[in-house]
Amino acid sequence: MTFTRGEIRNLFKGLAFLSPWLIGFSVFMLLPIVLSLYYSLSDYNLLQKPVFIGTENYRALASDGIFWHSLRVTLLYAAVSVPLGLFMSLGVALLLNVKLFAQPIFRTIIFLPSLVPTIAAAILWRWMFNQRLGIINGVLAPVLGWFHLPTPPWLDSSNWVVPSLALMSVWSAGNTVVIYLAGLQDVPRDLYEAAELDGAGPIRRLWNVTLPMISPVIFFNLIMAIIGILQVFDTPFMMTKGGPNRASYFYTYYLYDSAFTYLKMGYASAMAWIQLLLVLALTGIAFWSSKRWVYYQGK
Amino acid sequence: MVFGVVYVLIFGPRSEPALPPDRRSDLVIHYWEKWLGPEAEAMQVIVDDFNNSVGREKHIYVEMMSMSDIDQKTLVATAGGVPPDVAGLWDPMVVQLGSLGALEPLEDLAKAHGITDGFYKPVFWNACHFNGHLYSLVSTPAAVALFYNQRIFHEDAAKLRAAGLDPNRPPQTIDELDRYSDALTEFVTDAQGQRHVSRAGYMPMPPDYDWYVTSIPLWFGDNEWDSVTHRFTLTDPAVLQAFRWLESFPRKLGEDAVSEFSTSQGSFNSPQNAFVAGTLVMEMQGPWMANYIHHLRPSMDHDWAAAPFPSDVPGVKDVTYCPFDTLMIPRGCPHIPEAFEFIAFVNRQDEMEKLCMMHCKNSPLTNVSEYFLDHHPNPYIRVFEELSASPNAHMTMQCPVAQEAGGDLTAIVQGVLAMEIDPKIALEQAQVSLQAKYDEFEKNLKRRMRQ
Amino acid sequence: MTSNRSKSLSKVAVYAALIVICGMAIFPFAWMISTSLKPDTQLVETPPRWMPSEFAWRNYKLAVTNEATHFPLWTRNTLIIATLAVIGTTFSSAIVAYGFARIRFPGRGALFAIMLSTMMIPFPVTMVPLFSIFVWMGKHTPIQWLGTTRPLWAPAWFGSAFSIFLLRQFFTTIPEELSEAARIDGCSEWGIFWRIMLPLSRPALSVVALFTFLWAWRDFLGPLIFLQRPTQYTLTLGLQTFQSQHGSTPWNQLMAASVLVILPVLILFFIAQKTFIEGIATTGMKG
Repeated sequence: MTFTRGEIRNLFKGLAFLSPWLIGFSVFMLLPIVLSLYYSLSDYNLLQKPVFIGTENYRALASDGIFWHSLRVTLLYAAVSVPLGLFMSLGVALLLNVKLFAQPIFRTIIFLPSLVPTIAAAILWRWMFNQRLGIINGVLAPVLGWFHLPTPPWLDSSNWVVPSLALMSVWSAGNTVVIYLAGLQDVPRDLYEAAELDGAGPIRRLWNVTLPMISPVIFFNLIMAIIGILQVFDTPFMMTKGGPNRASYFYTYYLYDSAFTYLKMGYASAMAWIQLLLVLALTGIAFWSSKRWVYYQGK
Repeated sequence: MVFGVVYVLIFGPRSEPALPPDRRSDLVIHYWEKWLGPEAEAMQVIVDDFNNSVGREKHIYVEMMSMSDIDQKTLVATAGGVPPDVAGLWDPMVVQLGSLGALEPLEDLAKAHGITDGFYKPVFWNACHFNGHLYSLVSTPAAVALFYNQRIFHEDAAKLRAAGLDPNRPPQTIDELDRYSDALTEFVTDAQGQRHVSRAGYMPMPPDYDWYVTSIPLWFGDNEWDSVTHRFTLTDPAVLQAFRWLESFPRKLGEDAVSEFSTSQGSFNSPQNAFVAGTLVMEMQGPWMANYIHHLRPSMDHDWAAAPFPSDVPGVKDVTYCPFDTLMIPRGCPHIPEAFEFIAFVNRQDEMEKLCMMHCKNSPLTNVSEYFLDHHPNPYIRVFEELSASPNAHMTMQCPVAQEAGGDLTAIVQGVLAMEIDPKIALEQAQVSLQAKYDEFEKNLKRRMRQ
Repeated sequence: MTSNRSKSLSKVAVYAALIVICGMAIFPFAWMISTSLKPDTQLVETPPRWMPSEFAWRNYKLAVTNEATHFPLWTRNTLIIATLAVIGTTFSSAIVAYGFARIRFPGRGALFAIMLSTMMIPFPVTMVPLFSIFVWMGKHTPIQWLGTTRPLWAPAWFGSAFSIFLLRQFFTTIPEELSEAARIDGCSEWGIFWRIMLPLSRPALSVVALFTFLWAWRDFLGPLIFLQRPTQYTLTLGLQTFQSQHGSTPWNQLMAASVLVILPVLILFFIAQKTFIEGIATTGMKG
């Protein structure tokens, strides 16, 4: 392949501008990724040199009950919070899209929770979810008492802890709503008018016009959710310490513990690689399925 | 706003605290400690004593810093090559860090300071060693015993007598403990018709259950780890018995009763503390509880008493569990002899007794002065001293994968107390997976040594 | 044909729904403030009450001066780290984005795709090796990483994939003619970047700066792993440390501390509202 003089000059210029990223990428991204693969094949406790042990870490993981458990917890959380988040945010965005008097105020208020630093939200929700002293049960108790139902133990029960965390994540999903809103703004007016003229009611308009038009936005949010969901760490670490009885012991939490509490860096690296492969697989599936339901306006 | 930011940056607090002017040329020893509040202040007194005597002579200045999650932070800092010079951790770290090679061995320095076999009570001396090396000394020790509210015993004497129990003495076996607890537990029914525990005779809950996780089987005659064969013993009948005893509480009080009771009590360090407020009649605690009671509710000072926590094994008495706070030197410390000067100073009999009296704890030393016993803030200190010197005083399990075991066992305790898992099955599973983890650890260790 | 009445009825329904939803969004904030003003004795009341009988403003003072917290120190640390990260990211990402947007060179597409894909790499993959790289550098080079705050802001100076992506999309919307004209006038590539692109990109740059600041303010896993000296802790890490202190959980003080941590972000938001929403909207780009 031969390059023209101009192309070569551009190549130098381009690489020059790209140099910060190229250096950073090599040192902070490429090198760690390669090292991480090597560590995943070693026994390494950071205090002593790594010792190559082949695929033993992966084999140990396969028979490690806690590994599978943490994976299950994470996938369970994903199955609950991703659809909940996507659809509730969409619903709220649709509501916010209606031309109303106080629209900007509503939008601001709904966006506010997403600004709250995780630690503050964690402390707050931990306090609100408290079985006996929390306000949530304080409000629910009389209502549930009417039906002779007990108040849920929220974060103290293995069954309720993951749904509690999912509920909390919906509260802070303000940015997803805003992204939907932006997408909704872009739907051409005339499509709605044409549909109305054709006698389509609001539900049909939603199904046949709105949803297809914003399917790229839904897709974007879905991808972001997939990438993020496998890395959930902050909230369980801050709120439940993985309990009770490891019911909220997410994948990344076990990874963190393996690395920085038990000093099994090799083991943790193996877990990280599996995580990467999972993200790629899920994203791949999403992309493949997108051909069926994502519609791009003529570009 | 920009101005505000600049102001904070220029005039805001500095990261490194300044040394007093006459000590600027001294060698600074960084000492990380876990304590806060009065316990930290007490240690600061000892630090000041050192700085003003030996420290001044030898130009050493100790700077103490309080931290949370200190065990993990010290481990990571040591791995990161930037450890503190002295770390105040807990006794399980002797094994964990020792087995990873993260600690400096101290036996030679100790011998030079006259600290040898016989200096400490056996349970503490043994626990400071791992693999033949002395890896730590003690800052303050503990021994756990039964605290019980005598006033409530006497107030409810009729109830106790009706159950065939003596209100003038504490329970002496686990079975008696259960019966005393049943007689003294009271309930209340709320507006929705649900029953809640309003007063518990005995309840397995934090902070008590910090001890349980690795030691409750001790009162049932067994341990969870055999350090000779290097095997977990989770499936032994006595261990199962211990967990079944824990399970008996939610079984008789209600599935959510234990967690609900424990989360609705006031915080430990407040007058709403369950034992201090009288909503908990008996608990397993260390000697420092006397101090807390005295500060939180002095009117209660004469209401309580301490006795050995009952054992389930006939003929075996004075069983206790002796954790302690350590002083260790992480590997890579550039000033080991100087750091040890401080550690040795804390272990002088007068300084140690001073510290233990301030912390309201027993003493780890074999020699204990009469002054200590007579003037100790805990009127029952002799109980604790006898317990920690007893042949049935146990140390933490000497297992290198104790951290992971702790994680699993905590989960089991939580699950059992919420009646979500069956102890037998859980223990069997844990036995298999934890043993596998230890075997893996040992295999890696041997492989490393062959290199 | 839709009747006016059903239209206004549906509007009322939407209003009602939104009011309920907004109520649920605001409710936790109100509760946080209510708890932060409660004196100790009212904390453990059941059923919980809304209005404290006295406003315990001292909780705020206690939270800040509590020996377990070092609020002023943490704030200063977080500010320093965030500022360094913002300056570094904005500057370096702009440079790299310009390269991707404006210079046609062989391999550009491939490198761009690689850069985008790095956004998918979960942090845990790199965090363990990064830690040991930093240890190695500390031992074998004169630059210390662990034991300083460097790990949190230094990588930002090499560009962040997200910001590069955002800026690159923005740069492509600026007409080529402007650059062409400058080039004809003899301006160097760097000159075009510095004198033409950057001034025109103020809105996009503010979005990048804002987002980087927010991210740095809230980052937790990074400080948790890389910060070794307690005197260097950030607000997030410090507050978590405060929460996890053994023994007592002074909820009212914790709430007060949380309010203090949220306040700067809220203030920033109200000042820079437009930029915020614009920013999120541009990230949700189609396709």
